[in-house]
Amino acid sequence: MALDPTTTGVLAAPETAQHRRNLPIAGEAEALERARAGDPDAFSILYGMHKRRVYTLCLRMLGNVTEAEDMTQEAFLHLFRKINSFRGESAFSTWMHRLTVNLVLMHLRKKGLTLISLEETMNPSDEDSIRRDYGSQDPLLAGAVDRLTLERAVAQLPPGYRMVFLLHDVEGFEHNEIAEMLECSTGNSKSQLHKARLKLREILRHSPASAEILKRKETEP
Amino acid sequence: MNPADAPHPDSGAVDSLNIDTMTLAEFEHYLPHFFAAYNGRISDNPRFAKLLAAYPDCAALVRDLEYIAETARNLLEPADEPSDAVWSGIQSRLQSVVPEPEPQAPALEPKK
Repeated sequence: MALDPTTTGVLAAPETAQHRRNLPIAGEAEALERARAGDPDAFSILYGMHKRRVYTLCLRMLGNVTEAEDMTQEAFLHLFRKINSFRGESAFSTWMHRLTVNLVLMHLRKKGLTLISLEETMNPSDEDSIRRDYGSQDPLLAGAVDRLTLERAVAQLPPGYRMVFLLHDVEGFEHNEIAEMLECSTGNSKSQLHKARLKLREILRHSPASAEILKRKETEP
Repeated sequence: MNPADAPHPDSGAVDSLNIDTMTLAEFEHYLPHFFAAYNGRISDNPRFAKLLAAYPDCAALVRDLEYIAETARNLLEPADEPSDAVWSGIQSRLQSVVPEPEPQAPALEPKK
């Protein structure tokens, strides 16, 4: 049975993330109305309004420009096909995000990528233990990480960690929603997120941009 | 029991845990659940004050992880732009795309 990415496995995003996404875009409601009536120019307007968000989301989830562009194209074509099923129960951008996330996840499953390794999650290796992080006298990361540095660090995460981190910490989905999307338990989602943040801490501490600031903090009186 | 073997608690169970008497290993096990239960922020939660004061390196770790999560929120705003080829590809396929009709609510069965 063909899965429908507009509905499959994704519940409403939490209010905070919705709120951040739901800021009204001038002309969006009118463009939507015209698109529903079959006006091709309206599709162009909607594409212009949402292309960057959709593409950025695809690129972060896939880590590959070609695949991200292909999925962006698929997401908008799917949107045009399903435009009449948007009922305005959530903001259009939230609906578009859900649709995109589900399309990307379906794409990854087709490629045979295991999004969450249950075995790995239930039996964390010593490498993943946070205990190794205790005992260090390093200065705090606070103030040492800018957007670009974090973006680069996120790109270095293993795919499973990156997916949960993006869905939870960036996109604002709750663990129960992520569990449904990724077909894992909520405990699994929490565990993967925690490991993702630990891994990011390790990457950030060693990134040249952060390391320089941390070094300065260390020598400050 | 090894803390790593303990079951994942639900949010109600997290509330009932005695944090003050926890070992570091137990705290490590429950940390992902604490973050989830307290909206990603525990460093300024009085429940954790005693434990975090006793283990400063653990407190530093918690604050770093909170900072990473907070900084991640800035990434919601888009950073990249697709190439023009994406819209060209959409346009070329758009002609063959027919919007599906609005889904109809299932008809109610007549009352008998």
